[in-house]
Amino acid sequence: MLVPLTYARPVHWGEHGTKPALIKYIFRRILLLIPILLGVTVIVFGIMFLTPGDAAILMLGENAPQAELEALRERLGLNEPAYVQYGLWLSRAVQLDFGRSIRSGRPVTGEITARLPATIELALLATLLSIVIGVPLGVLSATRPNTAVDHSATVLAFGGLAMPVFWQGLIMILLFALVLDWLPPSGKLGGWQYYVLPTITLGTSAIAAITRMTRATMLETLSQDYVRTARSKGVRERSITYRHALRNAMIPIVTVIGLQFGALLSGAVITETIFSWPGIGRLAIDAIRSKDFPVVQGVVMFFALMYAVVNLLTDILYAYLDPRLKTRYS
Amino acid sequence: MRKVLLLIAAAAFAFGGAHAFTLTVAQGSDIVSLSPHNTNDQPSARVMRQIYDTLVVQTEELELVPGLAESWNQVDDVTWDFAIRPGVMFHNGDPLTASDVAFTLNRLRDPAAGAPAAFLVGFISSVEAVDDMTVRIVTNGPFVPMLSHLAHTATSILNERAVTEAGEDYGTAVVVGTGPFRFVSWEVASQVILERNDDWWGGDVGPERVVFRAIVEGTVRAIELEAGAIDIAYALEPRDALRARTNADLTMAEIETLTTSYIGFNAQKAPFDDVRVRQAINHAVDAETIVDVLLEGFGFPATSPISSQVFGSNPDLEAYDFDPERARQLLADAGLAGGFSTTLWTNDNPVRIQIAEIVQAQLADIGINVDVQVLEWSTYLADTAAGAHDMFILGWVTVTADADYGLYALFHSSNFGSAGNRTFWSSDRLDELLDLGRRTVDQDERLAIYYEAQEIINAEAPWIFLNTSIEANATRANVTGFVPHPAGHHRLYNVQKN
Repeated sequence: MLVPLTYARPVHWGEHGTKPALIKYIFRRILLLIPILLGVTVIVFGIMFLTPGDAAILMLGENAPQAELEALRERLGLNEPAYVQYGLWLSRAVQLDFGRSIRSGRPVTGEITARLPATIELALLATLLSIVIGVPLGVLSATRPNTAVDHSATVLAFGGLAMPVFWQGLIMILLFALVLDWLPPSGKLGGWQYYVLPTITLGTSAIAAITRMTRATMLETLSQDYVRTARSKGVRERSITYRHALRNAMIPIVTVIGLQFGALLSGAVITETIFSWPGIGRLAIDAIRSKDFPVVQGVVMFFALMYAVVNLLTDILYAYLDPRLKTRYS
Repeated sequence: MRKVLLLIAAAAFAFGGAHAFTLTVAQGSDIVSLSPHNTNDQPSARVMRQIYDTLVVQTEELELVPGLAESWNQVDDVTWDFAIRPGVMFHNGDPLTASDVAFTLNRLRDPAAGAPAAFLVGFISSVEAVDDMTVRIVTNGPFVPMLSHLAHTATSILNERAVTEAGEDYGTAVVVGTGPFRFVSWEVASQVILERNDDWWGGDVGPERVVFRAIVEGTVRAIELEAGAIDIAYALEPRDALRARTNADLTMAEIETLTTSYIGFNAQKAPFDDVRVRQAINHAVDAETIVDVLLEGFGFPATSPISSQVFGSNPDLEAYDFDPERARQLLADAGLAGGFSTTLWTNDNPVRIQIAEIVQAQLADIGINVDVQVLEWSTYLADTAAGAHDMFILGWVTVTADADYGLYALFHSSNFGSAGNRTFWSSDRLDELLDLGRRTVDQDERLAIYYEAQEIINAEAPWIFLNTSIEANATRANVTGFVPHPAGHHRLYNVQKN
């Protein structure tokens, strides 16, 4: 998993926060992406450059004549100094041209865009699943603390976090494909059936994280003064939970959901491998294994970009959800 | 996708479609490209074998029979004429001509094209179309094993017009061959779909459609087969294969491959320059244990650098028996009774690391202290090519199934270093035999040459001969006619499904 680039934090709108302020803020955040992504390019390029290994040998294999190796290094520009290689690469990367894959000879951008939809679909479904299950489960836990319901939810959540993904995936395939014969074992060959097992496998840890976060923040909000006030005014418990408490608790929950979504986008490697899912995670792993530098660089840049964008969107959503800010727009 | 299915269903109906079936095959990786000039990986070769034909066909019994070349004729030591089979059509409707063949082989060996499999035609000095239906190949020197090279999937014959017009799209969006199946589509990282070529020159083709799925995880590949979602699974992992063997719904199609695993010595470095030390180590390592423990029995202890499936393999050679006592004696004879310390290199392949650890333990028994070092793959190849090693683990696949390919690169003194001979061991007699093997046309004489070559290698022990391996393919029980090829590029046109 990648380390989150930014964390959602409260936004300070200044004394006279207005709509233009929000736009200005978004604009500033987008500008901030530039140094972040530039930093990522330096790290990505540096790591690939510093790791031992010669792409020419990897391509030509174990009995390649020296002359052919030299010719290939020349052709790939591997003989140039690091900063020249970096400069050339960067000038094309800003135009979303990451060169061609060493292994397949196809443009890296094409390889990524061919795989991206499968990964995004799966991440969206898994996130949706984790919200639909995680939020209600967390609320249930928080409103009945230290009851059997709460304990069961806690056990489920920790179980979900503790279960190794590859183990869970294989057991689910065994059970639902082989023993029960309800679903296809793997692949993405058209039809909703192919989505079920990978979505559950990928979503399990996110369900756990969202359940825990919902429970914790709900417990905190439920003990706030305004909740007590609402109760004393005789507002129905249901309304207190969902209209008053949950709305206020949503801010950190949304942050966690955003982070989880980012993680699911870039961290689906194992799920994609087990389920032969044609996503970007598998592309990344294959590229790293075969030292396919251009693909590794392209994929990591895409991961970083997606992470940054998801974080930005989370921050904006966060600002939007904050009722104090909402009143200022209207 | 649905459209294609409907069309096929309609076609099957229209023709009475008695036996229209789709054959689904799973392998461990997606293809890289379907242009034989863009890649040299096994998953792609397995698919290309169905789409393309080669001049010469190497049967499952490793016989070399006419393919797109109807016949051939050796004009002199270095000149061969190939008569192109008349009436063969490409999938795009073009007739096959000698100029397509010349174009294909010249493009493959053109350094500017950078084909990873160009080494397979390194023996060619020139190729030209003498007339419409005759191709002349001139070799750099006498090169009898040429026919096995011209049977390899990398030398598949392409359609000049299709390749030229498609440009960079060739091999991904546009794929044109003459083979039993034509290319329909490729969903990256998921599946490749082929359909029957009813006009194939080779005769009737069984499956209406063939789907090659990429199922990365070995256990999942086995489960897919057990669940009946696929018809054939290639290369099951040992543990899954053991389970498949006991499943009545499945039929095993196991075959010894062309791969040999070995540990090479740096024979120019003391103490490995002493043949007694190399023999001692061979006696101290129990290859049987490695096969049983690591491969769960899916392999055989090796007696020579080439597996029994390779033409020229000497069946009379004996493996070094596991005899630590004799090993200690040989070490003592070499003046190393007290043992010595050395290093064993491997790349980060889990099986190789385990092999290294087993060998480390077994050599400790005779007083040799081995330090196992794991190196990154390309560093590993570069440093062993430079001769910086003591001992190293590698494998070799004799892709042409001919002894020349399995021995020349690895043991000829002209190939020291990156060209293949990483043991830096050589012998004048062996050089002579290997050169002779390239120019001897008579098959029996060739066999005798390679038998002697392997006797020398076996006795001189520049390697610890570890093992060959078995590829455990399995099919559903209702699949018939699947005959695995030792090279792994199994032909599917004869397969039926009941």
